[in-house]
Amino acid sequence: MNDEVFLNERVEVVATFGAGLNPCNPIKFRRASGRIVEISEIGLRHPTMQGTRMVHMFDVTDGGADYRLEFDAERLTWRLLMEADRV
Amino acid sequence: MSGQYNTALPKVLHIDLNSCFATVEQQARPLLRGRPVAIVNRRTEHTMIVTASYEAKRMGVTLGMRLKEAKQLCPELVGIESDPPKYKFVYHQLMRIMNDYSAHVRMKSIDEGVIDFAETSPDMAKRDLAEIGYEIKQRLWNEVGKAMNCNVGIATNRFLAKTAASLNKPNGLDVITHKNLRKVLTSLELTDLTGIAGRLEKRLNSVGIFTPLQFLDADEATLQNVVFKSIDGSHWYKRLRGWEVDKRDFPLKTAGRQYVLEQYHLPHDQILQRLHHLCEETGAKIRSKQMQARGVMVYARTYDRGGWHAKHMASLPFFSNEAIFAQAKQLFATAPDGIKMIAITCYGLEPTDAQNKQLGLFGDELARERAITGAIDEINARYGRRIIHSADTLKTQMIHEKVPFGSTRYM
Repeated sequence: MNDEVFLNERVEVVATFGAGLNPCNPIKFRRASGRIVEISEIGLRHPTMQGTRMVHMFDVTDGGADYRLEFDAERLTWRLLMEADRV
Repeated sequence: MSGQYNTALPKVLHIDLNSCFATVEQQARPLLRGRPVAIVNRRTEHTMIVTASYEAKRMGVTLGMRLKEAKQLCPELVGIESDPPKYKFVYHQLMRIMNDYSAHVRMKSIDEGVIDFAETSPDMAKRDLAEIGYEIKQRLWNEVGKAMNCNVGIATNRFLAKTAASLNKPNGLDVITHKNLRKVLTSLELTDLTGIAGRLEKRLNSVGIFTPLQFLDADEATLQNVVFKSIDGSHWYKRLRGWEVDKRDFPLKTAGRQYVLEQYHLPHDQILQRLHHLCEETGAKIRSKQMQARGVMVYARTYDRGGWHAKHMASLPFFSNEAIFAQAKQLFATAPDGIKMIAITCYGLEPTDAQNKQLGLFGDELARERAITGAIDEINARYGRRIIHSADTLKTQMIHEKVPFGSTRYM
């Protein structure tokens, strides 16, 4: 299988909230280790329900690895759920 | 009428997302783009491939192939576990885009849909369908992502529009009219036609039909009385000539779920727990459509590739997970050893209202069962899938949500 690492790590995220079809755009995030990841592309953003709680999944990349960030729209928290394909 | 080709302007537009699940993963994860990707339902080398990207297909990887065998053909193949919520999101995005063009949109599966422009607004009727097809492709790139591609097929009926959408993959747009119909069919095999697989191909071969063109030239009486021995023969005669015979909706008659066991030689009680889990999911499906069932069928496939099934039609309709499982468990008592796959199907579905009016002798018990089941469904809907379930299925977390192929009823 693919070299995905599944995580559940609280991260600090800098994001812009604007207009249009994809109003929320994470720009960069800081991991628990202090490393800052600059996002070069948002691959896909999809909302999903966890019961009545809406969370938004952001599949992003910094060009060296793919990441999945989860934004909890109720608690206003970001978590890093997955890291893959470090080259 | 039916002997002639349909010479009307094409008004049916079929959209098919290319290698849908693999493309969605490549969209979501930019580092996978340009690489061979295979989507599987389990994180194991022995699982079968559900979808392969075009890069993988070019290396000989096909659907249904085991991941391990595929990696021998294509060592750099990346196996990704399916992620149904992501595919559902893209499905809803595609449907949203299609709905902007007509109220007559029918999604045929999670990755394809049809727009019927026959009854559209006057403004839309003036537009060229090929232009609309290119516009939808562009919107898919702009609104979902630049890795997303789709094929567009345009014709006078659903069948030929789907055929057109499969001509130039990936990312093609083709139109089939009465003028180019024969030319298009010349380039196809019989089994390239949707609905013609091994058994029907043999039947057609038995009367000297070996190509789609010969199929087109066959007379209606032969197809109806000799090949298909039913009205299907007449439908095929019209379908191939561009007349619409597939514009119908099918009522929900059955619902079910299947599961390939994760281990060899699981003890009977553990297989029963997994069957119980499938019964809970099937029950939830039925109730989500306000239906109840009259029959249960249990199916098992064994390692020697034998199939076994048992079914039971009840005198009263049922709807709760426990009622379904009670019958399934009884039927499963005669199941053979060496089981590889189990499946449950509830059939004889009918609207719940039909029986509510007459509760009969067991009215109080039924009302109580309905109230408890309804409360559990409500809690699960509010707090998440399987928040409340039977204690018997506590250890069946390995059964994941399934990619909904075929019907989009539960999307």
